[in-house]
Amino acid sequence: MSKVECELNINGLSKKINIHNDKPLIYAIRNDFGLTGTKLGCGLEQCGSCAVIIDGEKKLSCNLLAIECEQKEIITIEGLQIDNELNNVQEAFREFNAAQCGYCTSGIIISITALFDKSKKPSSQEIQNALNGHLCRCGSHSVVLKAIDSLIEN
Amino acid sequence: MKQFNSGPSINTYNKLSHWFDFSNFGILKVYSGKIDIGQHISSTLALITSKITEIKYDQIEIIRLSTDISPNEGITASSLSVASSGSAIKAASIALKINFLNYALKNLEIKNEDILLENGVIKDKNSNKTISYWDFAKTDKFKEVIIPEIFDENSLKKINYENNQKIELKTINDIVTGKYKYVHDINFSKMLHARIIRPPSYHCKLIKINEDFKKILVENEIELFIKGSFVAILSLDEFLVIKFLEIAKKNVFWEEKQKLSDDNVFNSLEKHEKESLLVKSGGEAFYEEVPEKKSFDDPKIRSLSTIFKKNYLMHGPIGPSASCAIYKDNKFTIFSHSQSIFALKYSISKYFDIDPNLVTLKFMPGSGCFGHNGADDVAFEASVIASEYPDRHILLKWTREDEHSWEPFGSASLNKVFGAINDDGEVVYWSNEAYSDTYLSRPSDIELTNFTSYKFLTNNFAKTISKPKTSAHMGIHRNLDPIYNFKETRLVKNLVHDLPLRTSALRTLGAFANVTASESFLNDLASIKNIDPFDIRLNHLDDERAINVLKNLKKEMEIFKPKEDFYRGIGFSRYKNSAAYCAVGVELKVTDDLEINLNHAWISVDAGEIAYEDGIKAQVEGGFIQAASWTLYEEVIFDSKKIISKDWDSYKIIGFDNIPNFTTNIIDKKGCAYLGVGEVVAGPTGAAISNALCNAIGQRIKILPFTKDNITKELLN
Repeated sequence: MSKVECELNINGLSKKINIHNDKPLIYAIRNDFGLTGTKLGCGLEQCGSCAVIIDGEKKLSCNLLAIECEQKEIITIEGLQIDNELNNVQEAFREFNAAQCGYCTSGIIISITALFDKSKKPSSQEIQNALNGHLCRCGSHSVVLKAIDSLIEN
Repeated sequence: MKQFNSGPSINTYNKLSHWFDFSNFGILKVYSGKIDIGQHISSTLALITSKITEIKYDQIEIIRLSTDISPNEGITASSLSVASSGSAIKAASIALKINFLNYALKNLEIKNEDILLENGVIKDKNSNKTISYWDFAKTDKFKEVIIPEIFDENSLKKINYENNQKIELKTINDIVTGKYKYVHDINFSKMLHARIIRPPSYHCKLIKINEDFKKILVENEIELFIKGSFVAILSLDEFLVIKFLEIAKKNVFWEEKQKLSDDNVFNSLEKHEKESLLVKSGGEAFYEEVPEKKSFDDPKIRSLSTIFKKNYLMHGPIGPSASCAIYKDNKFTIFSHSQSIFALKYSISKYFDIDPNLVTLKFMPGSGCFGHNGADDVAFEASVIASEYPDRHILLKWTREDEHSWEPFGSASLNKVFGAINDDGEVVYWSNEAYSDTYLSRPSDIELTNFTSYKFLTNNFAKTISKPKTSAHMGIHRNLDPIYNFKETRLVKNLVHDLPLRTSALRTLGAFANVTASESFLNDLASIKNIDPFDIRLNHLDDERAINVLKNLKKEMEIFKPKEDFYRGIGFSRYKNSAAYCAVGVELKVTDDLEINLNHAWISVDAGEIAYEDGIKAQVEGGFIQAASWTLYEEVIFDSKKIISKDWDSYKIIGFDNIPNFTTNIIDKKGCAYLGVGEVVAGPTGAAISNALCNAIGQRIKILPFTKDNITKELLN
């Protein structure tokens, strides 16, 4: 099965990789770029753990083809820090200890970051919309919501 | 503190070196036999150590469990992480501190009042003389210390600490930056990624694999692993394995040896062969004749009977199970997120018939597990594959479909409850018969058949028959014995055989079904006599701590005025009648479309001494959310041949859109034993929702989950 050359820009780093043309973005992120903070939960766009930001929009990377992401700016959880400082969302999650096993956390932080990048004071409906499709099995929801509320209050 | 019991781990590991490593100055490394499964046990254990020793929390590291260096504290389950490892580490810390202080006083020749203890270093206030824990750890005295099984009041006088510390979780910075590594993220040079080609269901024998498919695999440098009916594919390229897994499904052929079942599982639970044991006060089960259920002719006594049903539930971790194994120099090293790390070591060595010392299990985090999920299976399977590829790391991951279809589920169950109440509101008779498959089929060195792939490896598809466990609150009969002082009880554990799905330990075992049924039924009995739900419980309790928790819940709920169109319910339990106490209140609304919207949850808990308050809150609120999900949405769907609910669309769980506001109160019982809180909230949550729903629609719904379909069917009945 032949491979194609694909140039991806992830967290500001551009790299050419040889991949199958049907390779989903998540495998390029995790295996070709070594960025394992993006998690595979279902591969069916049902759980949200694979969320990344592409050109400012939250996208699920488990079914999105990597070759369709050329010439786009992809941000993963590892790329959210600015000058080694946590972004506001990461900082709030850290302050509230808003994770249990943490497997779903990076996807949620990505979604909320994309939301707050667009709106400093999103409505509760906008927050719900952003969290829609993010599953957590440990029940960290209540602390996650507190961390998000603190972003609005601040 | 009057007395402190060190707990069971100290019986085996009573030296300071079993628990502490002072080899790096300024850092205290602590061993534990428990693992981080989302409950952040490592942070709690570090905090306990810090509180006692006065070494800073940031200076303390918990060593990740590895079978070659860690104490064997059994399985990380049953809400015992803090109760056992926390107690052991607290005991070790007390022994360390007392002996260190004595050593320092003697060697520095100073008085108690001249001691200044900071960051693990004692300074003499009047001189520059210092001595540290790290100095003490080099002495023979440190080696000689035997940690007592019990500390008396006198020896505890030197131990002072506060319980309200706020800490940053040890793992949180790595989690929020994506640096926290799970088994799934392991990457070794020349590592092979593996996936299993699964048959349609449990009882299928491999017939053949298409030869053309085999050639294509060779052309793409994909390895095909076949042993019996166990088939896997491997490649250096993970995506290639995923890609060919889909193609494989059309090219591998199976013979179905046996169907799952043609009958409704609740019929099977009633009709199938079973073993019935009598459960007595104290919660132990006995092979004794079960007495006939009583009947009551006295007009002053009203009786009631109900059958509660619960469907199969799944653990459903968000990240499918994974493991990495290597077989090198005749030894196995296996990275696993199983709760049963030590049991796995012995099971795997038994399978290969080798000395257990040749198998090392290293814990590495996985997704939240909530019991015996696929973690043990995948570690076993990875080791089987690794044995055929010496010197190569094998990273085996289950797919979402694997996890949803092949994990051992929490059993479907029935509770037949019958009770009688007299004119004085006294419950004079209480019968509860629980029917279920086993909750206890974790693998062990004597039960290799509990690995799901074992039957495929050996091509032996004979069904295994579980034996009932009889210890107090073990499995099906967990919390079957009510905590209330009912006049007479009749409690029966029925382990039903030949049920369709594979089952094992899911968070709380039988307690969720038993408490939900009992606490719902108690409300129904109370309503016959118009007795308030709090009163019926308080009137039948002697235990002051239980009474205190219920009264705390009542007080907290009264602070919030009931809202129009919203309905409330409560539930209460003491987990295993020996662990934490928990009372739950729920306020909910039922929409015209029979959707249940949770508005507020009140949780009051007495878990003994608070080890880490925010940790307890996270566990009980998280436990509430998971139990609410079981109660409102979850059921494994299957037909006569296979599991149907293979993804999150067909197995719905709770989302962020139905999370209530929480009022959570943790009652500190400083000086009392740690009681553990991982599971206590589930049963009371199911009951509180059930009771609130009953108040909302005026009818008891007796089948979980409370979906629109189930509610409609019950209303039409």
